[in-house]
Amino acid sequence: MRYALKTICVMALLLIAGCDDKQSAFAALGPVSARITFLTWIMFIGAALITVLICVLMFISIAGPADWRHKLTGEKSIIWGGIVFPVVTLSALLIYGFLILKAGGTWVRAENPVHISVIGEQWWWRVIYRHDDGHTTESANELRIPAGRPIEIELSTADVIHSFWIPAYAGKIDMIPGRINTLHFVADKPGIVSGQCAEYCGGAHALMSFYTVAMTPSDYDAWLVKERSNAAPALAGEGKQIFLSSGCGGCHTVRGTPADGKIGPDLTHVGSRQSLGAGILPNTTEGFAKWVSQHKIIKPENLMPPFDFFSESELQSLSLYLNSLE
Amino acid sequence: MTEPLKIRLRKLLPWALGFFAGGIVLVLAIAYSGIFNIAATAGHPAWLEWLLALGKERSVVVNSKPVDVPELNLTELVPLGAAHFHGGCATCHRIPGQPINPVYDQMLPPPPNLQIHAPMWTRQQLFWMVRHGIQFTGMPSWSGQGRDDEVWAVVAFLQALPLMGEEDYLKYANGNSKVNSQAQNYPANQFAGKGRINLTACDRCHDTHDKQPTSPYVPSLGGQDSAYLKRTLHEYREDLRQSGFMEPIAAELDDKHIDNLADYYASLTVPVAKSVQPVSPAKVELGRQLAEHGDRLRKVPACLSCHGVNKRPDYPRLAGQSEHYIRQQLQVLQRGIRAKTPYGAIMTTIAKRLTEQQAEAAAAFFAGQLPADHKAAESLRR
Repeated sequence: MRYALKTICVMALLLIAGCDDKQSAFAALGPVSARITFLTWIMFIGAALITVLICVLMFISIAGPADWRHKLTGEKSIIWGGIVFPVVTLSALLIYGFLILKAGGTWVRAENPVHISVIGEQWWWRVIYRHDDGHTTESANELRIPAGRPIEIELSTADVIHSFWIPAYAGKIDMIPGRINTLHFVADKPGIVSGQCAEYCGGAHALMSFYTVAMTPSDYDAWLVKERSNAAPALAGEGKQIFLSSGCGGCHTVRGTPADGKIGPDLTHVGSRQSLGAGILPNTTEGFAKWVSQHKIIKPENLMPPFDFFSESELQSLSLYLNSLE
Repeated sequence: MTEPLKIRLRKLLPWALGFFAGGIVLVLAIAYSGIFNIAATAGHPAWLEWLLALGKERSVVVNSKPVDVPELNLTELVPLGAAHFHGGCATCHRIPGQPINPVYDQMLPPPPNLQIHAPMWTRQQLFWMVRHGIQFTGMPSWSGQGRDDEVWAVVAFLQALPLMGEEDYLKYANGNSKVNSQAQNYPANQFAGKGRINLTACDRCHDTHDKQPTSPYVPSLGGQDSAYLKRTLHEYREDLRQSGFMEPIAAELDDKHIDNLADYYASLTVPVAKSVQPVSPAKVELGRQLAEHGDRLRKVPACLSCHGVNKRPDYPRLAGQSEHYIRQQLQVLQRGIRAKTPYGAIMTTIAKRLTEQQAEAAAAFFAGQLPADHKAAESLRR
């Protein structure tokens, strides 16, 4: 009995965690997710009403008065209740669902959206901002968007199937090899929410998340100009030397330095992101040191080779440098 | 008819069990009593000698059957095998034309003269014995775990040994150190005060101021950074990096020796570029591509991001290293044998992503590079 009580308490705690608006489909922080949430409530309440109705009918068919039972078994009630009602209800839901799916797209096309590409990789996100002049700026593991403007995200994958999901803004859409899927949404107001890969994609799948930062349009424009520029760290010196001489540039790009690797996340402005390691560590000097020296423990199976030979002071300089890449 | 037989067998059973138990007790009693003389001076009685020889021979023959023999290039492997034999095996198995050390001559069984005995075994059998050693004989197994590739150099040498005279043998075994019998006096100006550097063991295989390594499977050390050389020698000494050739040598070095040797080789000017073997330009081009840009699809970073100019001093420099050596090390890395050190762990991750073709191409590309480039670039930096 006590055990059962404990279990229920723990499960209730899990439910409470779901109430956090940061990664909740009920948060509905934009029109697209608001519609989805609305549809969810319609379905939930409708399903509850139908369940109650069925229970009542079952009770009547077992214990009700004879003439009621007789009516229930009649051809009319079977045609209306068993065929017409489900066909109409389900068709209406289906059509409404399709309309919701399409709505974002038509709206966005009419209003010149912000174009961003996100490529799922084991186990992180490559984010590419497409500028109006045709150029692109690559970033990773964080999405920045202007609030109020429609967003169009092209979703693809570099390896296996991933699924891109920012519950607060939109439904999830799979990233499928050889295909580009498009996601449309709008964020109502500035704020930070989190997203997650929603399709099992191998070892570190559960640790493949990211933050989405919605900013005021003017802040966003300023941010994009800065993001597009080369790295201008406040602290170069020794850390930069360690970064370049240890071979980090073989996989990572820091624009404005010889590091031009394309295998791992772009680190040009990594210091300004919300998190490290695709949403799993705080973006601090200590966070960098922890990632570099223990990433195989923090995020098992991730594809970065282990770098276990840095001395304390080397690790410190390297972390300071990376953290200063704002 | 069958019934009486069964009954008779049943009657015999207690007797059989009794004899068996008695036998065990007898053996234990003999062992405990100390009657059996295990002194090497006592020698083996003829019947025991025969039995042991039979057991040993059959064991080698049967167990070595699954061994796959690779193609052995004797010219490339014999100098390496000979130098190892000289340092590791000759003490017991004697130097051709020279008397055996009397201490080892008193071993039982006596270590065989391999000029006579090696031809009695096939390549597979020689490999198996060198690789695994032989119980009760004093023959050790190979000290580099997983380094079967090294064992084959010894096998190649053992096959060439029977035809060698003393002079031939010493030529191969001493390698480059023969020419430098004055190697002891090597402390060039910059080593004054550091004590003498004994290069006898190194020069048997490695490069000197005027000679290339004796085998393409031996890395050229001249011009490597001393930090890298120190790290490597420490890894060999602490059994973190596996090599049946290098571990026994590194085990005899103290920290000061290691420092001196590393500084010496770091200052050694690499001899004239070796005659580059003809390789297909397409292969070299693929290697260049990989070295400069990597392979994004297979998640292989550019080799030069670590092995290029201006990199960490404890990373190895590959330009001008022999193709055979790079290829062999990549295979060793791919087998996971070098993953015990943090540096080896990085390269293990990357080596496992390479295709065979890419590994060969990378080896060919770096073999064709001039180490001088490296030097020039570095002096520019300074």
